[in-house]
Order: sequence, then C-alpha cells, then structure tokens
Amino acid sequence: MPDIVRFEPTGKDGAGRALPASSLPNFFEAANALAARQFCRKKGAIVHPSGYDVDDGDLLELARAGGAIAFSFSDVLSERGFRRSILISKMRLLLSACRKRGTPFVFVTLAKDASQARGARELSAFATVLGATDVERKAAEKKMSGIADGSARQKKGTPPDAAKAVEK
Amino acid sequence: MKPTERFKRRYISFSLSLSGMPPAYPEAKEIVHVHFLSFFGESGISSLAFKLVKYDAQSGEGILRCERSRTDEAIFCMACLSEWKGAPARLEPKSTSGTIKRL
Repeated sequence: MPDIVRFEPTGKDGAGRALPASSLPNFFEAANALAARQFCRKKGAIVHPSGYDVDDGDLLELARAGGAIAFSFSDVLSERGFRRSILISKMRLLLSACRKRGTPFVFVTLAKDASQARGARELSAFATVLGATDVERKAAEKKMSGIADGSARQKKGTPPDAAKAVEK
Repeated sequence: MKPTERFKRRYISFSLSLSGMPPAYPEAKEIVHVHFLSFFGESGISSLAFKLVKYDAQSGEGILRCERSRTDEAIFCMACLSEWKGAPARLEPKSTSGTIKRL
C-alpha cells in the first residue's frame, strides 16, 4: 500500500513506496476546523485535520471536490495513555461522519522518520480498528494508489489525459 | 469444554527490537506484557486469549497468541509500540496463522 510520509524516503529505510508529503501539491495539514474548511473547497485536496474535528458540511464539500481525509498513524504514536484513546475515539467519529457524507478517506503514517514508518498490514489493522469495513479499506488503498500514480505522472511531467492515451 | 466453545486462536509471529538490538527474554516478556496490558486493560486481555508463546533472544523473533476476531486489534497494538523506558522500540508483526507450525 502506498504511504505518505514527512521525510524523503531513500529506499534503504524500508519506506520504498512512500511519497513525501512535500511532493504532493494537494496535501494539506489543517491545524483546526477553520483551516480545514478552506482546504476542503480545493479540488482533489487530501486534508489531514490534526484535531480530527471537521464539520459535516465541509466533508460534503470535500466529497464534491473529489478530495479525501487522511488518517495519520503517527498522530497515534505521538500520544500516550488516555490522550491516545481520546484521539482514536475522535478518529472513529470522523470516519463514521465520512461514511455518512460519502467522503473518501485514506490511511497513512505521515512518519517523521524511518522509525515511525509502518507496513501495509499494520496500516490495514489501523483502518480496521478505526471501524473501516473491508470494502472501505480496499477503497482507501485504491485511492492511495491513485494519488501515488498521479504523483508519479507529475514527476515525469505528463498530463493525466496524455498518460491515459499512452496506456490505451 | 467442547472445541467449538473454546477461544478460536491465531498466532502472530513478530520481531522485537530495543534500541536496534533484540532484548533478553525477561525484558522482552515485560515489554510485551506491559504494552498489551496498557493497551487492552485487564478486561481486554482476559477476552483476547493473549499469550507470549515463544521468544528467541538471539534473533529477537517470537510468537504470540490472540483471539481470532481480534487479530487486527493485536496487530495495531503491536504497531503502537514506539519506545520503551525512553529507548526506541519496535514490535513488528511478521505473519499470522492458525497454527504455530505454519508461521
């Protein structure tokens, strides 16, 4: 499963299929609900709300704009004890709201270094613990693959339509 | 007790490292037990059918047991370990199976 991280993966650190967040122009980190509202209006935005509090209206707008909410594993790692349980609870509520509003979501590590990077099986377990069904988990994986493909195309400088024509 | 009434078990093989090195058996046992207890609580552990089945201090690899329907929770719990007493630690799940032999 492709992943989004906060460092530049070298390939030797076990984060081979990871995309650095800095290379994704549509990736936004929202410090609060107000910031999240602005990012949700942008087309194809991947929004990581650090407090996991996004209004239902903003989720609807994000779904319309073809964006997604990012759930980060490193947020769980950075908290301990009671605060960690509150964070997981907030993530569960946001995932439930995303399901209700039809907003896509992805599961990423957003690791600051190689020690915070996690494997596909661990991310899949993270999704299940947050309450995602098998279908939703697979849809999230597909969405992440789409983001990774889009990023690879941008690196090569090929517009998406031209890439499709080549594939045909 | 009938076999159908028992816990349905799954075995997860893992690799444990503490500051990049595999810890000795007593320390490894303490890390795994304390971490699982802190994550699941006493009630959670009782319904998890949790047991540290095997641990090799040379390679840092081991096997733990959990209840079948809660395998994902156990793997998530393992992934949540990032430090132990200030030192970087990693409990990496390798594979899951219904028998120890197939791991």
